[in-house]
Parts: sequence; structure tokens; C-alpha cells
Amino acid sequence: MYMSQLLHRAFLVLVLAALTLPLGVEGQLRTIVSKSVSASSSRATLAIEFADDGMLKIAFDGGTILVDGDPVGSYEDGDELDTAWRALLGDAMSRENGALARILDGWAPPADLDHDLENAAEAVEDALENALADLDVEAERRDASVSISINNEEGSLIRLLVSAVGNLGGLVKALEGLDENFRIHIDEDVVIPSGSMVEGTLVVIGGSLRVEGEIEGDAVIVNGTLDVRSDGSIGGEARVADTRIVRNTGEIRGGIVNVLEDEREFERELRQELHDEIRAEIRSDVRNEIRNATRFEGDGFSIMSPLRPVIRGVGGVFEKLVGVFILALLGAGFLAFAGENMDAISETARRAPGRAAMVGVAGSFLLVPVWLLGAVALAISIIGIPVAIAWLPLFPLATVIASLLGYVAVARNAGEWMADSSFPWTAWIRKSNPVLTLVGGLLAFSGLFIAGHVLSIAPFLNVLSTLLFIAGGVVTFVALQIGFGAVLLTRAGRRREHYSTYDAEVAWEDAVRRNAEDGLGGDAGTTTGDGSDDA
Amino acid sequence: MALVGMRERQQETVRTMRKTMTAAIVAAAVIAPAAAQGQSWRTVAMSRQLEDNGEVRVFVDYGAGEFTMRSVDDGLLYRMNLKYDEDKFEPIADFSGERLHLGVESLRRNINISRRQSGSLELELARGVPMDLKLKFGAVQADIDLGGLALTDLELSTGASESLINVSEPNPVPMEKASFEVGAAEFTIRNLANLRAEEIEVRAGVGSIILDFDGRWQRDAQIAVKMGLGSMELRVPEGLGVRLQKDSFLTALDSEGLIKRGDVYESPDFDDADYRIEVELHIAFGSVAVVWIR
Repeated sequence: MYMSQLLHRAFLVLVLAALTLPLGVEGQLRTIVSKSVSASSSRATLAIEFADDGMLKIAFDGGTILVDGDPVGSYEDGDELDTAWRALLGDAMSRENGALARILDGWAPPADLDHDLENAAEAVEDALENALADLDVEAERRDASVSISINNEEGSLIRLLVSAVGNLGGLVKALEGLDENFRIHIDEDVVIPSGSMVEGTLVVIGGSLRVEGEIEGDAVIVNGTLDVRSDGSIGGEARVADTRIVRNTGEIRGGIVNVLEDEREFERELRQELHDEIRAEIRSDVRNEIRNATRFEGDGFSIMSPLRPVIRGVGGVFEKLVGVFILALLGAGFLAFAGENMDAISETARRAPGRAAMVGVAGSFLLVPVWLLGAVALAISIIGIPVAIAWLPLFPLATVIASLLGYVAVARNAGEWMADSSFPWTAWIRKSNPVLTLVGGLLAFSGLFIAGHVLSIAPFLNVLSTLLFIAGGVVTFVALQIGFGAVLLTRAGRRREHYSTYDAEVAWEDAVRRNAEDGLGGDAGTTTGDGSDDA
Repeated sequence: MALVGMRERQQETVRTMRKTMTAAIVAAAVIAPAAAQGQSWRTVAMSRQLEDNGEVRVFVDYGAGEFTMRSVDDGLLYRMNLKYDEDKFEPIADFSGERLHLGVESLRRNINISRRQSGSLELELARGVPMDLKLKFGAVQADIDLGGLALTDLELSTGASESLINVSEPNPVPMEKASFEVGAAEFTIRNLANLRAEEIEVRAGVGSIILDFDGRWQRDAQIAVKMGLGSMELRVPEGLGVRLQKDSFLTALDSEGLIKRGDVYESPDFDDADYRIEVELHIAFGSVAVVWIR
């Protein structure tokens, strides 16, 4: 399919070349069906698509000028060429088809550019002119043989033809850098008889070439066969693309060059890539098999089966400890930034736990109705809709924060209670350090779960571990309700209902007041010179 | 004395924690904007000539920014002007025979952008070319005029947006169904009659919706509205027969000008009207108001 299209295009182009050469190549412009003009601080790109499927893309990209992806020169941001190009694109943005083609074809780079910039500008100008020149003519004979002699002028017809028909694949590669004196044969077999000589380059497209005589220059064969007999010789290279070498007993001085080697290389890379992917997949499968054999989960046989309860138990303990750590961090944050509020919540939870728990349970039941009714109340007015949108996620978020705040406040109370206790394992909890009391309380609340996980390692103690988990759940639920209720009662700690017994200033004032009420003068706790207590 | 000492130590501990946490928060606040800075704007103008196009299926994807759409009759299939951040997005302009895909797509999966940082897309589509149009928006401020477009089918899906859709001229071809899916939005459609749709479906999450049934009616229509939470206004031209059926949980209905007959509300001249619409409302929470227009 590809070769057929290639031959068809090449044939059209060559016939046209023969027709247009005497007349020059100026004339009607090609029809542009699609354009894309884009510009940013570092790039300015034009991409156009023609009605006959050809395309052209010119990009000024980060200092390099690219024509259809190939670099043709360089520029600097803001130099004369860059400015002129951007001006052209600015004009092109608002134009279509014919008008667009005319301004692109008529574009001329600024004069007096320095040498490198001038070369780049000429390349851009040539690319535009060559792409826009209308070369589309109908060919009536597909079996024609065309011989063309082309001079050596830069920007010659062959370049124009190649640009005009887009990517001709192997043919373009095969013709690169050759002497432009061609004899071209399309769709026919060519024989160079013994004793005869062909000057210049011989191109055979879609046919076989048998060389018994001499070709002075190069031979190019695309999609055909090459047969060099013992008396035959090629003075230059034999360039082949999609071509089978039938015989090579003669002389090819420049050697055989496969111009599609790049494609072959690409294919090789693709094959290698595929090979690597398959190998990686096999490795992955093997790894999965090994993993299945050593898995911790699942009911099937595994060499790790005996260790499953231990892993689960230790994992559960670790999970709880991580939870305690996270809650301790959260609690530390509350202490740091809302210490007064937390004091008030703790105090309320300590002094009136029953009341707080009842308020917490009632509040929990009312959460969903309050959330929905609040949203409805806000949504029935247009002004309230944005607030409703915020209300929907923020209310649950505030509820979660309030629950956590209450929970850590209750945990802190539990920690202080443990510090006051005479248990030997609570000696490390010091009431002077609120973080330690908090951690102590959190560990106490998690203690039942941790014990449950430890016991779950022994299979025969599963019932006991389950009971411990249930007890832990009950403790956590009660602590959450008391904490949440205390948060509600104190308006998140902003309305203090009780005062801490540990408030030194209040205690001091109380002591002074009591002394005064008992009729004793002087500061409380003052001692006389003989050591007797005034009080 | 012991109490005083303990309280001092407590306060000292709290002060130390507060300093540490404040420093961490300030550092995060300084680093975050620095990382978020830096945009690389790119402007793109694209267009394609009309060829022998039959019906075209048009897909437009646009994540965030300002979107405008009109019809064009300069011999173009489409013209699109885009402004976008090339570090975050890339334009889409694919055309293959009967399928046209336009818009921008994000280069990364999770991109947070504000209105100020977003770009714009101006799109013009060919008048008179039969189109099956599918628009998909994210957080977009859209101003769309469908007038002049020959729409055989229409689907619009938008997230959090502010959209104004107008059908300024009658659709040259009848349409079977037009559907609008709205997330959280202020959404207004004007001149719905000009769509010439047999069925119109609106599905909305949260927001404020205005459906304007003005325009040139040429056929009866079925309207289905499903909404979670918000306010809805139905603007009905006098002379159009309206039958409204409401299925809601907590929704206030202002049905001025409609007469309740059994489970439905009808305009007084419903049976004699040249054209009729039947509206089914399924709204969980919110309000519905019927407004008559001359």
C-alpha cells in the first residue's frame, strides 16, 4: 500500500516537473484546509494542512528553527527574524485558506540579516514557497518513463518536488545528496546492455535493474530488484530501498547502501523492546508465584502459614501504636493552639461526665438532621447557595474535629488519673507534662485493643481477644461521647463551665480567702520565728 | 508552691510546642506559593475549512477557564482560539472524517487552578452542518450561543460552573434529545424552544437553575428535571401549554398561574395551546418557581 502510494505520488510529481519546468513553478497556490497558529514566550509555530493531504509545520522553538521537525537554523528570542515571524503569525491568525496562503507565500524575511540568520530565513521562506506551490496535476499514463535533466542551482526542482509531496520515505532518503542529473524509470524493468554507458544517476522505481554495461554515477532502486552481472559496473553507490539484490558479481565502486537501514534499526529496537517487555512480564509472573508461595494472607497452603497469627497480632499492635502517635500529635496541636479551650473541655468532662455523655449521644443523633436542614435552609435562597455549598463539606469536617478534640481531652483526663494512681507502670506519666498525660491516656484507651491483638497470636485465646476488642470499642465509644458532649457544652471550650483544681492562682486565692474568713491576718503559710504555725 | 511550679512547667512545654508548630506552618506557607508560581501562557488559533462534511460528531473538552461558543459561516468547520498554560495543558484538535474533538486536556492528573490562573477558549462551529454536539466542562464560566447550529443531538456536562446557554435562532433540524448534566453551578438556558428538541433532560446536583422556554415552538416537548439541592426557575412564555408534575422531598413550589388538577399542575389553556410541554420535576431539597413571560 505504502509503495503504491509512493509510486503514484512520485509519478505525479515527475510528470508535473516535466510539464512545469519550462514555465517555472510560480502560479496557483495550494488549498489550505486546516491551520494552527500558536505562540508563547518561547515558541511560535505554524502548522498547515493542505487539501491534498500534504502538511507543513514551521516552529521557532527555544532558539531553533524547525521545518517539519528538522532543524534548519537558529535564532534568538526577539531578534529581527523572530519578530518578523511572529508578525506573520499574528496576521495568519485571522486569515483562512486563500488569504492565508497568499500572505504566507508573499512573506519575505527582513533584509540585512547576518549570515546565519539569513540562511535560516531563506530556509523558512523556501519551505513556505515550496509547500504552497500548487503541484497537483492529473497524470494519465502510469507506465510512462520520464528522464529529466536538472541543473545544479540551489533550491532546484527535486527539492521542490520532495517538499511538495511531503514524505516520500525511502525515495527521499535515496535521493539525498546525489548528483541531480537523473534518468528515472518508473514501473518498468531496465537493462543496461553490455558495452553501453549511462551518465549521471539512474533511478529505478518499482522495477528491476540489470546492469551488464556501465553506470557512471549512482544507481537508485526503490521497490525493485538489482542484478549486477559480471561485466557490469556502477561507478558510485547502489542505493537500495525495499529492494532485493538478485546478483552482485560485477563491480559497485561505492558499495551498496540500504537507505532504509534506519527503519530496520527502528524495527530492531522495537523487537528488542517487545522482547524486554515479555521478559519483564515473565519475571513479574515468577515474582507473583513466589509471592503467592510466601504470602501471609489467604486460606491456602503457604510456607508462611504458621507465622500468620504472629504477623497479624504484631501488625495490630503496631497499628494501634501508630494511631496513638497520630492522636498524640493532634492533641499536642490542640494543646499548643487551643490549650485554654482544651482545659475547659477536660474540666467539664471530668466534673460532669454523665451529663457530657448524654449531651454527646443526643448531639450525635442530631448531626445528620442538622446538616440536612441547614443545607436546605441555606439553599432556598440564591444568596445562601454558595454558603450551602461550603456548609455541606465543612459541617462534617467540624464534627470530626470536635470529636477528636473531645476524645483527646478525655484521654488527657485519663492520663492525669493514671499519674495520680499508685500503679508502678504509670510512674513515667507526670502531670506537669500535658503531652505525657495525653499519651498515657491514649495508651490506656488503646490498651484493651493492644491486649486483644497480643492474645490473638495464640489461637486458643481468640474468644478472650474478641471480648477485649469489644470492651475496647465500648471504652472508645464512651470516651468519644463524653468528649463530644463536653465540646458541645463548652462551645468548643469557649464557655468554661468548671475550673481546674490545678489552677495555682485560683488555689492561692482560695487559700487566702479562707484564711481571711477564719480571721487570721498575714499571708497564708507564713511561719513565726520559733517555727510554730500561725494558722 | 508545687502547684505553681507544675503550672510553669506546663506553660513552658506548651510555649515550646507552639513555637515549633508555628515555625513549621510558616515554612509550609512560604514554600507552597513559591512552588505554585510560574505560568507559561500560550495562544493558539486553529481552524479547518468546510469540506464535503456530512453529519459531524463534535466533542469539546474543557477543564477550567472561560468558554464561549458561537456559530460561524465563513466556510469553516470550526475556528478555535485558545489561551492556556502550556505547562499544565495541551490543546486538542483532532478531526477524522466524521469526528471532531476540540478543547484542552491536562498534562497531569491532579491540577488545581483558580479562575485567575485559568485560560480561555473561544470556539466557533459551522452553521448548518448537522452536528451531534457533546460538551464536557470542569470549572468553567461558559457563554454559549447555539443559535444557527444544526444540532441533531446535544449533551452538555459541567462540574462547578457558571453557564449561560442561549439558543438565539431556531435549530434548522429537529433534535431527538438534549441533555444537560450540571454539578454545582449557576446554570441558565434561554430560548429552549429554539432547540426543537423532543425531549430535554436536566440533571443537576447543587445550584441555581433557570430554564427559559421562550423562542419559537415547533413541536411539543417532554422536560425532565432531576435535582439534588437548589433553586429552580421555570420561565414560561404565555400561550405555551404547561403541565408540571412534581416529585420531591422538601421542595417549595411557587406555581403561580398554574391550576392543580390531581397530582399535576397545568396552565389554564393547556388543552387548547398550540404547543405543550410536560415537565417532570424530581427535586430533593430546594425551591421551584414558575415565572410567566410575555
